Amino acid sequence: MPGPLPTDLSAGELAIATHDLSKQYKTVAALTGLALQVPEGAVYLLVGPNGAGKSTTIKILLDLIEPTSGTARVLGLDPRAQPALVRANVGYVPEQLDWGYAWMRTGRLLEHHAKYFPSWDRDYAARLFRTFDLRLDQKLGTLSKGQGRRVHLAMALAHRPPVLILDEPTDGLDPVMRDETTGVLIDHIADAPTTVLLCTHHVSEFDQFADHIGVLRNGELRAQLPLLELRRGLRRYRADIPADWGGASLFGAAALRKTTTHRDLDWTVWGDESAITAELAVAGAVVRDAVPLSLSDATLALLSPKEVIVRAAARTADDTHLLHSTEASK
Amino acid sequence: MLIAIDPNDSRPIYVQIVDEVRRALVLGTLAVDDPLPSVRQLAGDLRINPNTVSQAYRELEREGVVEVRRGQGTFIVKASVNGAQRRSLARDVAARALRDAHRNGLSADDLIQAIRSVSSPHTK
Repeated sequence: MPGPLPTDLSAGELAIATHDLSKQYKTVAALTGLALQVPEGAVYLLVGPNGAGKSTTIKILLDLIEPTSGTARVLGLDPRAQPALVRANVGYVPEQLDWGYAWMRTGRLLEHHAKYFPSWDRDYAARLFRTFDLRLDQKLGTLSKGQGRRVHLAMALAHRPPVLILDEPTDGLDPVMRDETTGVLIDHIADAPTTVLLCTHHVSEFDQFADHIGVLRNGELRAQLPLLELRRGLRRYRADIPADWGGASLFGAAALRKTTTHRDLDWTVWGDESAITAELAVAGAVVRDAVPLSLSDATLALLSPKEVIVRAAARTADDTHLLHSTEASK
Repeated sequence: MLIAIDPNDSRPIYVQIVDEVRRALVLGTLAVDDPLPSVRQLAGDLRINPNTVSQAYRELEREGVVEVRRGQGTFIVKASVNGAQRRSLARDVAARALRDAHRNGLSADDLIQAIRSVSSPHTK
Protein backbone atom coordinates (compact mmCIF):
# COMPACT_ATOMS: atom_id res chain seq x y z
CA MET A 1 0.00 0.00 0.00
CA PRO A 2 1.17 3.55 -0.54
CA GLY A 3 2.10 4.92 2.84
CA PRO A 4 4.52 7.11 4.77
CA LEU A 5 8.22 6.99 3.93
CA PRO A 6 10.23 4.75 6.26
CA THR A 7 12.61 6.41 8.74
CA ASP A 8 13.29 3.42 11.02
CA LEU A 9 15.72 0.79 9.78
CA SER A 10 15.17 -1.54 12.77
CA ALA A 11 18.08 -3.60 11.50
CA GLY A 12 20.79 -5.44 13.45
CA GLU A 13 23.84 -3.80 14.95
CA LEU A 14 24.22 -0.06 14.45
CA ALA A 15 27.70 1.47 14.11
CA ILE A 16 26.29 4.98 14.49
CA ALA A 17 23.03 5.79 16.24
CA THR A 18 21.46 8.95 17.56
CA HIS A 19 18.39 9.09 19.71
CA ASP A 20 16.07 12.08 19.79
CA LEU A 21 19.03 14.31 18.97
CA SER A 22 18.38 18.05 18.80
CA LYS A 23 20.57 21.09 18.30
CA GLN A 24 19.36 24.62 18.77
CA TYR A 25 21.44 27.58 17.57
CA LYS A 26 19.91 30.62 19.29
CA THR A 27 16.63 30.89 17.40
CA VAL A 28 17.33 28.29 14.74
CA ALA A 29 16.59 24.58 15.25
CA ALA A 30 19.41 22.84 13.32
CA LEU A 31 18.29 19.33 14.32
CA THR A 32 14.98 18.14 15.72
CA GLY A 33 14.61 14.69 17.30
CA LEU A 34 17.05 13.03 14.93
CA ALA A 35 17.18 9.20 15.00
CA LEU A 36 20.08 8.44 12.68
CA GLN A 37 20.71 4.69 12.23
CA VAL A 38 23.84 3.61 10.37
CA PRO A 39 24.11 -0.20 10.34
CA GLU A 40 27.51 -1.83 10.84
CA GLY A 41 29.26 -2.24 7.50
CA ALA A 42 26.86 0.05 5.66
CA VAL A 43 27.80 2.77 3.20
CA TYR A 44 25.28 5.35 4.33
CA LEU A 45 24.60 8.42 2.21
CA LEU A 46 23.33 11.40 4.21
CA VAL A 47 21.82 13.95 1.84
CA GLY A 48 19.95 17.18 2.14
CA PRO A 49 20.09 20.81 1.06
CA ASN A 50 22.51 23.28 2.63
CA GLY A 51 21.53 23.97 6.22
CA ALA A 52 19.58 20.72 6.57
CA GLY A 53 21.75 19.65 9.51
CA LYS A 54 24.26 17.26 7.89
CA SER A 55 27.43 18.90 9.19
CA THR A 56 25.85 19.61 12.58
CA THR A 57 25.11 15.88 12.92
CA ILE A 58 28.69 14.94 12.05
CA LYS A 59 30.16 17.48 14.45
CA ILE A 60 28.05 16.11 17.28
CA LEU A 61 29.21 12.56 16.47
CA LEU A 62 32.83 13.73 16.80
CA ASP A 63 32.15 15.90 19.86
CA LEU A 64 33.17 19.03 17.99
CA ILE A 65 29.91 20.63 19.14
CA GLU A 66 27.50 19.84 21.95
CA PRO A 67 23.92 18.72 21.30
CA THR A 68 21.11 20.63 22.99
CA SER A 69 19.40 17.36 23.91
CA GLY A 70 19.37 13.68 22.99
CA THR A 71 22.17 11.15 22.67
CA ALA A 72 24.68 10.00 20.07
CA ARG A 73 26.64 6.73 19.92
CA VAL A 74 29.55 5.78 17.69
CA LEU A 75 30.46 2.08 18.00
CA GLY A 76 28.50 2.15 21.24
CA LEU A 77 30.67 4.97 22.61
CA ASP A 78 29.31 8.30 23.81
CA PRO A 79 31.29 11.08 22.08
CA ARG A 80 30.59 13.39 25.07
CA ALA A 81 32.11 10.93 27.57
CA GLN A 82 34.93 9.46 25.46
CA PRO A 83 35.77 11.94 22.71
CA ALA A 84 39.37 10.79 22.22
CA LEU A 85 38.38 7.14 21.88
CA VAL A 86 35.67 8.00 19.37
CA ARG A 87 38.06 10.07 17.26
CA ALA A 88 40.68 7.31 17.37
CA ASN A 89 38.14 4.96 15.81
CA VAL A 90 36.90 7.33 13.13
CA GLY A 91 38.53 8.48 9.90
CA TYR A 92 37.15 11.95 9.31
CA VAL A 93 37.29 14.18 6.26
CA PRO A 94 35.87 17.60 7.18
CA GLU A 95 33.97 19.78 4.78
CA GLN A 96 36.00 22.88 5.62
CA LEU A 97 39.75 22.51 5.28
CA ASP A 98 41.54 24.56 7.89
CA TRP A 99 45.13 23.49 8.44
CA GLY A 100 46.23 25.80 11.20
CA TYR A 101 49.89 25.02 10.44
CA ALA A 102 50.35 26.45 6.95
CA TRP A 103 54.16 26.12 7.21
CA MET A 104 54.05 22.38 7.93
CA ARG A 105 54.91 20.00 5.10
CA THR A 106 52.65 17.10 4.13
CA GLY A 107 55.27 14.49 5.09
CA ARG A 108 55.56 15.94 8.58
CA LEU A 109 51.78 15.93 8.97
CA LEU A 110 51.72 12.22 8.06
CA GLU A 111 54.45 11.48 10.65
CA HIS A 112 52.41 13.28 13.24
CA HIS A 113 49.35 11.16 12.41
CA ALA A 114 51.38 7.96 12.35
CA LYS A 115 52.36 8.58 15.97
CA TYR A 116 48.82 9.37 17.04
CA PHE A 117 47.23 6.24 15.55
CA PRO A 118 48.71 2.88 16.64
CA SER A 119 47.07 1.17 13.66
CA TRP A 120 48.68 3.53 11.13
CA ASP A 121 49.61 1.64 7.93
CA ARG A 122 52.76 3.33 6.55
CA ASP A 123 52.78 1.44 3.23
CA TYR A 124 49.13 2.13 2.65
CA ALA A 125 49.61 5.84 3.37
CA ALA A 126 52.46 5.99 0.85
CA ARG A 127 50.36 4.13 -1.72
CA LEU A 128 47.40 6.51 -1.20
CA PHE A 129 49.70 9.51 -1.67
CA ARG A 130 50.88 8.05 -4.99
CA THR A 131 47.34 7.24 -6.14
CA PHE A 132 46.18 10.73 -5.21
CA ASP A 133 49.17 12.30 -6.95
CA LEU A 134 50.43 14.03 -3.77
CA ARG A 135 53.96 14.93 -2.68
CA LEU A 136 55.46 14.64 0.79
CA ASP A 137 57.36 17.93 0.68
CA GLN A 138 54.54 20.34 0.07
CA LYS A 139 53.62 23.05 2.54
CA LEU A 140 50.04 22.73 3.76
CA GLY A 141 49.41 26.39 3.03
CA THR A 142 50.16 25.88 -0.67
CA LEU A 143 47.78 22.94 -1.21
CA SER A 144 44.88 23.52 -3.58
CA LYS A 145 41.38 22.69 -2.36
CA GLY A 146 41.42 19.36 -4.22
CA GLN A 147 44.91 18.46 -2.94
CA GLY A 148 43.88 19.29 0.62
CA ARG A 149 40.84 17.04 0.27
CA ARG A 150 43.08 14.20 -0.94
CA VAL A 151 45.54 14.67 1.94
CA HIS A 152 42.63 14.44 4.36
CA LEU A 153 41.29 11.32 2.65
CA ALA A 154 44.68 9.61 2.80
CA MET A 155 44.97 10.45 6.51
CA ALA A 156 41.43 9.22 7.21
CA LEU A 157 41.98 5.89 5.44
CA ALA A 158 45.57 5.04 6.43
CA HIS A 159 44.81 4.09 10.04
CA ARG A 160 42.09 1.72 8.79
CA PRO A 161 39.44 2.89 11.25
CA PRO A 162 36.23 0.86 11.65
CA VAL A 163 34.21 4.01 10.85
CA LEU A 164 34.71 6.61 8.13
CA ILE A 165 32.88 9.92 8.27
CA LEU A 166 33.31 11.81 5.03
CA ASP A 167 31.84 15.28 4.57
CA GLU A 168 31.83 16.11 0.84
CA PRO A 169 34.93 13.96 0.15
CA THR A 170 35.00 14.73 -3.58
CA ASP A 171 34.41 18.48 -3.36
CA GLY A 172 36.97 20.37 -5.43
CA LEU A 173 38.24 17.22 -7.20
CA ASP A 174 38.39 16.95 -10.98
CA PRO A 175 36.40 14.14 -12.67
CA VAL A 176 39.40 11.78 -12.91
CA MET A 177 40.25 12.24 -9.22
CA ARG A 178 36.58 11.80 -8.28
CA ASP A 179 36.54 8.47 -10.06
CA GLU A 180 39.90 7.54 -8.49
CA THR A 181 38.50 8.38 -5.04
CA THR A 182 35.47 6.12 -5.52
CA GLY A 183 37.83 3.35 -6.65
CA VAL A 184 40.03 3.82 -3.56
CA LEU A 185 36.99 3.72 -1.25
CA ILE A 186 35.68 0.55 -2.92
CA ASP A 187 39.04 -1.21 -2.53
CA HIS A 188 39.23 0.03 1.05
CA ILE A 189 35.92 -1.50 2.15
CA ALA A 190 36.58 -4.67 0.13
CA ASP A 191 39.82 -5.16 2.10
CA ALA A 192 38.43 -4.46 5.57
CA PRO A 193 34.83 -4.19 6.76
CA THR A 194 34.21 -0.50 7.36
CA THR A 195 31.13 1.56 8.10
CA VAL A 196 30.96 4.70 5.97
CA LEU A 197 28.84 7.76 6.67
CA LEU A 198 29.05 9.99 3.64
CA CYS A 199 27.55 13.48 3.28
CA THR A 200 27.37 14.80 -0.22
CA HIS A 201 25.57 16.92 -2.76
CA HIS A 202 27.02 14.77 -5.54
CA VAL A 203 24.60 11.90 -5.04
CA SER A 204 25.07 10.35 -8.48
CA GLU A 205 28.79 9.74 -7.84
CA PHE A 206 27.95 7.29 -5.08
CA ASP A 207 24.87 5.81 -6.70
CA GLN A 208 26.29 2.27 -6.87
CA PHE A 209 28.67 2.55 -3.92
CA ALA A 210 26.20 3.43 -1.17
CA ASP A 211 23.66 0.94 0.18
CA HIS A 212 21.65 3.11 2.59
CA ILE A 213 20.31 6.62 2.43
CA GLY A 214 19.08 9.20 4.91
CA VAL A 215 17.37 12.31 3.62
CA LEU A 216 17.54 15.34 5.91
CA ARG A 217 15.31 18.35 5.50
CA ASN A 218 15.05 21.20 7.98
CA GLY A 219 16.83 19.19 10.66
CA GLU A 220 14.49 16.20 10.40
CA LEU A 221 14.86 12.83 8.70
CA ARG A 222 12.38 12.68 5.88
CA ALA A 223 13.37 9.13 4.92
CA GLN A 224 15.94 6.56 6.02
CA LEU A 225 16.12 3.19 4.27
CA PRO A 226 18.24 0.72 2.27
CA LEU A 227 18.76 1.87 -1.33
CA LEU A 228 17.35 -1.39 -2.71
CA GLU A 229 14.07 -0.62 -0.93
CA LEU A 230 14.09 2.93 -2.24
CA ARG A 231 14.55 1.65 -5.79
CA ARG A 232 11.78 -0.90 -5.35
CA GLY A 233 9.28 1.33 -3.58
CA LEU A 234 9.72 4.77 -5.12
CA ARG A 235 8.57 4.76 -8.72
CA ARG A 236 7.48 7.08 -11.44
CA TYR A 237 4.09 6.08 -12.82
CA ARG A 238 2.93 7.18 -16.21
CA ALA A 239 -0.66 6.48 -17.17
CA ASP A 240 -3.36 7.48 -19.61
CA ILE A 241 -6.47 8.93 -18.01
CA PRO A 242 -9.92 9.57 -19.39
CA ALA A 243 -11.31 13.10 -19.74
CA ASP A 244 -12.70 14.56 -16.48
CA TRP A 245 -10.85 11.96 -14.43
CA GLY A 246 -11.77 11.82 -10.75
CA GLY A 247 -8.60 10.33 -9.26
CA ALA A 248 -6.43 13.43 -8.94
CA SER A 249 -6.25 13.25 -5.14
CA LEU A 250 -5.18 9.57 -4.91
CA PHE A 251 -2.39 8.45 -2.53
CA GLY A 252 -2.19 11.65 -0.46
CA ALA A 253 1.27 12.24 0.99
CA ALA A 254 2.72 9.04 -0.54
CA ALA A 255 2.63 10.85 -3.88
CA LEU A 256 5.75 13.02 -3.92
CA ARG A 257 5.32 14.47 -7.36
CA LYS A 258 2.24 14.81 -9.45
CA THR A 259 2.08 16.18 -12.94
CA THR A 260 -1.38 15.72 -14.35
CA THR A 261 -2.69 16.86 -17.70
CA HIS A 262 -6.13 16.32 -19.19
CA ARG A 263 -5.17 12.96 -20.66
CA ASP A 264 -2.17 11.54 -18.84
CA LEU A 265 -0.44 11.60 -15.50
CA ASP A 266 3.21 11.44 -14.45
CA TRP A 267 3.37 10.73 -10.73
CA THR A 268 6.15 9.75 -8.37
CA VAL A 269 4.65 7.65 -5.61
CA TRP A 270 6.12 5.74 -2.65
CA GLY A 271 4.65 2.30 -1.91
CA ASP A 272 4.02 -1.19 -3.21
CA GLU A 273 4.06 -1.12 -7.00
CA SER A 274 1.30 -3.65 -7.63
CA ALA A 275 -1.03 -2.01 -5.08
CA ILE A 276 -0.48 1.42 -6.62
CA THR A 277 -0.95 0.15 -10.17
CA ALA A 278 -4.13 -1.66 -9.10
CA GLU A 279 -5.48 1.43 -7.38
CA LEU A 280 -4.79 3.54 -10.46
CA ALA A 281 -6.50 0.92 -12.64
CA VAL A 282 -9.58 0.88 -10.40
CA ALA A 283 -9.71 4.67 -10.71
CA GLY A 284 -9.76 4.30 -14.51
CA ALA A 285 -6.13 5.11 -15.37
CA VAL A 286 -4.22 2.86 -17.78
CA VAL A 287 -0.67 2.53 -16.41
CA ARG A 288 1.95 2.55 -19.17
CA ASP A 289 4.97 2.11 -16.96
CA ALA A 290 6.21 2.24 -13.37
CA VAL A 291 9.96 2.77 -13.36
CA PRO A 292 12.41 3.17 -10.45
CA LEU A 293 14.13 6.56 -10.21
CA SER A 294 17.83 7.25 -10.44
CA LEU A 295 19.27 8.10 -7.04
CA SER A 296 19.56 11.81 -7.85
CA ASP A 297 15.97 11.96 -9.15
CA ALA A 298 14.76 10.06 -6.09
CA THR A 299 16.59 12.50 -3.80
CA LEU A 300 15.10 15.48 -5.62
CA ALA A 301 11.62 14.00 -5.35
CA LEU A 302 12.09 13.40 -1.62
CA LEU A 303 13.36 16.92 -1.02
CA SER A 304 10.95 18.91 -3.12
CA PRO A 305 7.50 17.37 -3.20
CA LYS A 306 5.23 19.28 -5.47
CA GLU A 307 2.05 18.98 -7.37
CA VAL A 308 1.62 20.21 -10.89
CA ILE A 309 -1.76 19.97 -12.45
CA VAL A 310 -1.83 21.16 -16.00
CA ARG A 311 -5.25 21.50 -17.50
CA ALA A 312 -4.27 22.40 -21.01
CA ALA A 313 -7.61 23.80 -22.12
CA ALA A 314 -8.19 25.77 -18.94
CA ARG A 315 -4.72 27.26 -19.03
CA THR A 316 -5.16 28.54 -22.57
CA ALA A 317 -8.41 30.19 -21.55
CA ASP A 318 -6.74 31.81 -18.53
CA ASP A 319 -3.79 33.02 -20.59
CA THR A 320 -6.13 34.55 -23.15
CA HIS A 321 -8.09 36.17 -20.38
CA LEU A 322 -4.90 37.51 -18.83
CA LEU A 323 -3.76 38.91 -22.15
CA HIS A 324 -7.09 40.66 -22.65
CA SER A 325 -7.13 42.15 -19.20
CA THR A 326 -3.55 43.41 -19.58
CA GLU A 327 -4.49 45.08 -22.82
CA ALA A 328 -7.65 46.46 -21.34
CA SER A 329 -5.72 48.07 -18.48
CA LYS A 330 -3.40 49.94 -20.82
CA MET B 1 34.95 -6.84 -19.85
CA LEU B 2 32.90 -9.91 -19.17
CA ILE B 3 30.26 -8.34 -16.97
CA ALA B 4 28.58 -5.06 -17.87
CA ILE B 5 25.91 -3.25 -15.90
CA ASP B 6 23.52 -0.45 -16.75
CA PRO B 7 22.63 1.95 -13.91
CA ASN B 8 19.48 3.00 -15.81
CA ASP B 9 18.20 -0.57 -16.01
CA SER B 10 15.24 -1.18 -13.70
CA ARG B 11 16.81 -4.40 -12.38
CA PRO B 12 18.90 -4.04 -9.21
CA ILE B 13 22.65 -4.22 -9.88
CA TYR B 14 23.11 -7.60 -8.17
CA VAL B 15 20.38 -9.08 -10.38
CA GLN B 16 22.11 -7.63 -13.44
CA ILE B 17 25.36 -9.36 -12.46
CA VAL B 18 23.55 -12.69 -11.98
CA ASP B 19 21.88 -12.26 -15.38
CA GLU B 20 25.20 -11.36 -17.01
CA VAL B 21 26.79 -14.58 -15.75
CA ARG B 22 23.77 -16.58 -16.95
CA ARG B 23 24.03 -14.86 -20.33
CA ALA B 24 27.75 -15.69 -20.59
CA LEU B 25 26.89 -19.34 -19.89
CA VAL B 26 24.26 -19.39 -22.64
CA LEU B 27 26.71 -17.75 -25.05
CA GLY B 28 29.47 -20.13 -24.02
CA THR B 29 31.92 -17.39 -23.03
CA LEU B 30 31.95 -18.94 -19.53
CA ALA B 31 32.44 -22.68 -19.02
CA VAL B 32 32.85 -25.15 -16.13
CA ASP B 33 35.95 -24.46 -13.97
CA ASP B 34 36.26 -20.89 -15.25
CA PRO B 35 36.87 -18.41 -12.42
CA LEU B 36 34.71 -15.36 -11.85
CA PRO B 37 36.58 -12.12 -11.10
CA SER B 38 37.28 -11.60 -7.39
CA VAL B 39 34.75 -9.49 -5.48
CA ARG B 40 37.34 -6.74 -5.02
CA GLN B 41 38.28 -6.78 -8.72
CA LEU B 42 34.73 -6.68 -10.08
CA ALA B 43 33.56 -4.09 -7.54
CA GLY B 44 36.50 -1.85 -8.48
CA ASP B 45 36.00 -2.31 -12.22
CA LEU B 46 32.27 -1.60 -12.10
CA ARG B 47 32.62 1.08 -9.38
CA ILE B 48 30.03 -0.62 -7.20
CA ASN B 49 29.81 -1.65 -3.56
CA PRO B 50 31.70 -4.94 -2.93
CA ASN B 51 28.67 -6.20 -0.98
CA THR B 52 26.60 -5.98 -4.17
CA VAL B 53 29.04 -8.32 -5.93
CA SER B 54 29.03 -10.69 -2.93
CA GLN B 55 25.24 -10.70 -3.00
CA ALA B 56 25.24 -11.67 -6.70
CA TYR B 57 27.81 -14.42 -6.14
CA ARG B 58 25.84 -15.79 -3.17
CA GLU B 59 22.74 -15.95 -5.38
CA LEU B 60 24.69 -17.84 -8.07
CA GLU B 61 26.06 -20.18 -5.42
CA ARG B 62 22.55 -20.84 -4.08
CA GLU B 63 21.46 -21.76 -7.61
CA GLY B 64 24.39 -24.18 -7.88
CA VAL B 65 25.93 -22.27 -10.79
CA VAL B 66 29.16 -21.37 -8.97
CA GLU B 67 31.16 -22.71 -6.06
CA VAL B 68 33.46 -20.84 -3.69
CA ARG B 69 36.78 -22.64 -3.31
CA ARG B 70 38.50 -21.45 -0.17
CA GLY B 71 41.53 -19.33 -0.86
CA GLN B 72 41.13 -19.71 -4.60
CA GLY B 73 38.03 -17.82 -5.61
CA THR B 74 34.64 -18.43 -7.19
CA PHE B 75 34.33 -20.94 -10.03
CA ILE B 76 31.65 -22.06 -12.45
CA VAL B 77 30.51 -25.58 -11.61
CA LYS B 78 27.41 -25.94 -13.76
CA ALA B 79 27.40 -24.64 -17.31
CA SER B 80 24.95 -27.01 -18.96
CA VAL B 81 22.38 -24.77 -20.53
CA ASN B 82 19.10 -26.51 -20.93
CA GLY B 83 16.03 -25.47 -22.87
CA ALA B 84 14.34 -24.14 -19.75
CA GLN B 85 17.19 -21.67 -19.06
CA ARG B 86 17.14 -20.46 -22.66
CA ARG B 87 13.38 -20.00 -22.48
CA SER B 88 13.65 -18.12 -19.19
CA LEU B 89 16.30 -15.83 -20.68
CA ALA B 90 14.09 -15.26 -23.73
CA ARG B 91 11.13 -14.43 -21.47
CA ASP B 92 13.21 -11.80 -19.64
CA VAL B 93 14.24 -10.19 -22.93
CA ALA B 94 10.63 -10.30 -24.17
CA ALA B 95 9.32 -8.70 -20.97
CA ARG B 96 11.79 -5.82 -21.29
CA ALA B 97 10.94 -5.31 -24.97
CA LEU B 98 7.23 -5.40 -24.20
CA ARG B 99 7.59 -2.75 -21.49
CA ASP B 100 9.41 -0.57 -23.97
CA ALA B 101 6.70 -1.20 -26.59
CA HIS B 102 3.92 -0.23 -24.14
CA ARG B 103 5.80 2.93 -23.28
CA ASN B 104 5.70 3.78 -26.98
CA GLY B 105 2.01 3.03 -27.25
CA LEU B 106 2.55 -0.27 -29.15
CA SER B 107 0.73 -3.53 -28.48
CA ALA B 108 2.29 -7.00 -28.11
CA ASP B 109 1.05 -7.85 -31.61
CA ASP B 110 2.72 -4.75 -33.08
CA LEU B 111 5.97 -5.84 -31.43
CA ILE B 112 5.74 -9.46 -32.60
CA GLN B 113 5.08 -8.35 -36.16
CA ALA B 114 8.01 -5.94 -36.05
CA ILE B 115 10.35 -8.63 -34.69
CA ARG B 116 9.29 -10.98 -37.51
CA SER B 117 9.89 -8.38 -40.19
CA VAL B 118 13.22 -7.24 -38.69
CA SER B 119 14.58 -10.77 -38.27
CA SER B 120 13.72 -11.83 -41.83
CA PRO B 121 13.96 -8.62 -43.85
CA HIS B 122 13.74 -10.38 -47.25
CA THR B 123 10.39 -12.09 -46.83
CA LYS B 124 7.86 -9.36 -46.49
